[in-house]
Amino acid sequence: MKGVLAVYYREIVNFKNRWLKVWSASIIYPILFLLAFGYGIGREAKVAGVGYVRFLIPGLIAISSMNQAYGVSLEVHISRYYYRLFDEYLIAPIARWEIVVGEMLYGITKGLVPTAVLLGYSLVSKLGYNVTPSFFMFLLLHLCCFSLLGFIVAMVVRSHADQAAFSTFVMTPMLFLSDTFYPIEKMPFFVRPLGYISPLTYSTKLIRASLLGYEVSKAYSVMLVVITLLLFWGALWVARRAEG
Amino acid sequence: MSEIEVVDLKKNFGNIEALKGISFSVGRGETLALLGPNGAGKTTTIKILTGLILKYEGRVFYRGRLFYPYDRRIKSLIGMVPQHNNLDKELTVYQNLKLHGLLFGLSGKDLEIRIDAVLDMAGMREHKARKADYLSGGMKRRLVIARALLHEPEILFLDEPTVGLDPAVRRSLWDFVVRLRTEGKTVILTTHYIEEADMLSDRVVIMDRGRIVAEGSPKELKGSLGRFVLEVHTPQGIKEEFFSSREEAIAMAKEFSFPVRVREVNLEDVFLRYTGRRIEV
Ligand SMILES: Nc1ncnc2c1ncn2[C@@H]1O[C@H](COP(=O)(O)OP(=O)(O)OP(=O)(O)O)[C@@H](O)[C@H]1O
Ligand SMILES: [Mg+2]
Repeated sequence: MKGVLAVYYREIVNFKNRWLKVWSASIIYPILFLLAFGYGIGREAKVAGVGYVRFLIPGLIAISSMNQAYGVSLEVHISRYYYRLFDEYLIAPIARWEIVVGEMLYGITKGLVPTAVLLGYSLVSKLGYNVTPSFFMFLLLHLCCFSLLGFIVAMVVRSHADQAAFSTFVMTPMLFLSDTFYPIEKMPFFVRPLGYISPLTYSTKLIRASLLGYEVSKAYSVMLVVITLLLFWGALWVARRAEG
Repeated sequence: MSEIEVVDLKKNFGNIEALKGISFSVGRGETLALLGPNGAGKTTTIKILTGLILKYEGRVFYRGRLFYPYDRRIKSLIGMVPQHNNLDKELTVYQNLKLHGLLFGLSGKDLEIRIDAVLDMAGMREHKARKADYLSGGMKRRLVIARALLHEPEILFLDEPTVGLDPAVRRSLWDFVVRLRTEGKTVILTTHYIEEADMLSDRVVIMDRGRIVAEGSPKELKGSLGRFVLEVHTPQGIKEEFFSSREEAIAMAKEFSFPVRVREVNLEDVFLRYTGRRIEV
C-alpha cells in the first residue's frame, strides 16, 4: 500500500506544478466542442429524444476526462524513458501492482478536473442532470479504464513517435465513434463495429444514461467492468515484466 | 556466511553475451570494486543484483538466501546509485528524497529526520528547496548518493559513482565512500578508474568482456606481478618488466639504451597482464 502512496505522491507533485495546464485544458477543450457542435448545431435540435446540448455534455465529460486520465501515459513515459526514475520504483521493496494502482489513482484524480468543470457548467445552465452514485461509479470505472490504457501504452510503446501514432490512429477516432457526439446507432452500419469495440462507447452510454436518469443497460455495465478488469490485468502484466 | 554470493551469472542481450558466467562473493562490511573497461558487464551485474533485470542464468544469494527480483525483504536492505542519475528533474531536492523515502516505507517524522540527515551528510541542506534540474553535475551525483542512503541500506551499490566529474569533486566523493566503509556498510562499486578501485576497495574483481579475469585485494593483485615496473620506451612501443624492488629495476634500466622509467605497479598493469589490453583507451 505504501508503494501506491509513493507513486501517487510523485504524480501529484507534478500535477500541482502543472495545474494551470490541466485546468485550462479541462476548460478550453470542452468549450471548443460545445461551441463547435453543441451551439453550432443549435439548441433546438433533438437527438435521441433530448436537446442536443443535454445529449452532448455527458459525452464531453466522457472524452475530456478520458483525455486527462489517458494522459498518465505521458507521465509514465517521461519517468521511464526520460528520467529513468522508474528504476527507483523497480528497485524499491514494493509490489508491481502498487505502481499500477498509484498511476491509476493519478489518472482518476486528473479525470475529475474536467468532470467538475462540466458538471459546474451544467449546473449553472440548469441542464437538470441527475448526479447520482451510479454516475460516479461509471465515471470511476471509465477513468480506471483509460488511465490503465495510458499506463499500458507508455510501458509498451517505447518511442515518442509511436505514442503519437497511437493517439492519432486509436484515441482520436475513438473519440468520435463512441456515442459521444451522436448515438452510435445512427452511424453507418460498417463503422458501427468499431464503436462497439471501443470501451469509450460503453462508458459514455452509461454516464449519459445515469445523468439523464434513464435506465442503465446491464449488458453495458458488465461490458465496462470486464474491460476495466482486462486492462488492469494487462497493466499488471506489463508492470511485472518491466526491467530497468 | 558472505553477504552476497554470485554463482555463475550469465546474461545475453540478443546475441551479445554481456555476462559469460561470473562468480564472486562479498563479505559483510567489505568494499568490493568491479573494475573493467566499457562493456565489461559491470552495470549488467549490478542490475541483476538489484532486481532491475528479471531474466538471467545463474544464482544470487544474499546472506544465504536465494534472491529473486521481486524479493522485497532483500530489496529493503539495498541502496543503489545507478550509472546515470535518475532524478525527477521537475521535483525539488526535498521531493526527490521524500519520494524515495516513501518507496522504501518511511513516513512522517522519521522520514523528515532522515532527509535532513542525508542532506547534511551531502552538504546540501541549503539546496533543499531547489529543483533537482538546477543542481550542478557534482551536486546531482551527491544527491543521488544521498538518496540511496536515505533508508539506511546495509548494502550499497555504486555504479561508476564519479564518472564524468572533475577531479576535485571526484576526490570529495571518495571521502564520502571511505566514510561509508567506516560505518560498516557493504559496498559494491564499479569503476573504470584504476586509482578509484585501488584507493577505495578492500577487494577488486577485474572484469573484461563478460568474464572475471582476476580477483584479490589491490595489494595481492599488484604483488602478483612485482612491486616496481621498468618501462622501456622502444620504437615498437612500451615494454614492461616487473621487479620486487626499486634497486633491481634501476639496475636493469642501465642495460637499455632507450628512454626508461621506473614506477610502482598499478592495477592497470594487472589488467594488461591478464587481457593484453589497457583499461583506459
Ligand atoms: N539493454 C541492453 N540491450 C542490449 N545490449 C546491452 C544492454 N545493456 C547492456 N548491453 C550490452 O552488454 C554489454 C555489457 O554492458 P554493461 O553496461 O554491463 O557494461 P559496463 O561494464 O557497465 O560498461 P560501461 O563502463 O560502459 O558502463 C555491452 O556490450 C552492452 O552493449
Ligand atoms: Mg556500466
